[in-house]
Amino acid sequence: MKLKMNFVSSAALDEKPKNKRIGFILNIVKDGTILITDGVLKPDEEIDLIKETMRRVDDGFPGIEVASLKKPAKGFSSVLEKLTDQKDKLQNLFVGATDAKSSLRTGLTLIGPARFIKKVKKNPNSFSVLTEV
Amino acid sequence: MANSVIDWLYSLFGIKKDIKLGIYGSVNAGKTTLANRISMDWIGQQVGKVSVIPHETRIVQKKEKVVMKRSRKKITLNILDMPGLATKIDYKEFLKYGLSKKAAKLRAKEATDGVIEAIKWLNNVDTVLAVMDATQDPLTQVNITLLGNLESRKIPVIIVANKIDKKRADPGEIRDAFPKYPVVEVSALKGKNMNNLYDAIAKHARRR
Repeated sequence: MKLKMNFVSSAALDEKPKNKRIGFILNIVKDGTILITDGVLKPDEEIDLIKETMRRVDDGFPGIEVASLKKPAKGFSSVLEKLTDQKDKLQNLFVGATDAKSSLRTGLTLIGPARFIKKVKKNPNSFSVLTEV
Repeated sequence: MANSVIDWLYSLFGIKKDIKLGIYGSVNAGKTTLANRISMDWIGQQVGKVSVIPHETRIVQKKEKVVMKRSRKKITLNILDMPGLATKIDYKEFLKYGLSKKAAKLRAKEATDGVIEAIKWLNNVDTVLAVMDATQDPLTQVNITLLGNLESRKIPVIIVANKIDKKRADPGEIRDAFPKYPVVEVSALKGKNMNNLYDAIAKHARRR
């Protein structure tokens, strides 16, 4: 059996409103594909991803495995991150939380179907993934 | 605002009232064993049933008015034992424990609903005990996501490094993985170090 990987740019995910982004990711992963992107979801989106995954679990889709590495924000990038968060909060107020867009944090994320990913071993600066197809 | 003023007045007399204490963590980290231990220690009542089969707790279990005393402080806790958080739930796992296919599928469905319910409760808890199995690798996505969300919602959290009675337990690994958070090492099963946990709750727990 073959295992497919999709490399999706964070810019492509940034383009999608929050309510569409999680669905977009899960449609790819539920199809049996591993998604890798050069960004990291914010904590509230990570928890939404888990929640939405649980809604989609069925006999053929037991869920997902996720691993991410966030680039630590220091100095100016830390200030920029906080400003972006404030901008997103304001946008949520005016546009509504689900239609608002928000930027991914700098880093790396892998999201894959749990039926193929058997183990994720995470370290502070790296992770390894064991798959079985 | 009114709550803050009332809480401040109570705190002058060493009283913390009606703190919703959420017990969160991965599946089989020992959350219900811990909830039972806390509740038994203070009011002599169990919170829920414990099982070796994963996802035994599939609905939020509550025990209200658990009054805890620490030196001159009196803290009233409403304990909320949450279903275990997970990114995957495979009904086939339950077959290994002798469940029928039908029972396993039902358990999986209830478990997924339980995870969603536990996540929704993040908006309502005041303080969280994040329970981690000290025999397991703590750097899991569930633990990272949980702590990230508690931090962004400004919810006080105490990490409970559980199962330290086991030979393979390495609570130091949990401390190294999450150095920003208070970590208390306990064995909920054996009741080891529970006073340290109660001191930490008295120190960190507060209403939001």
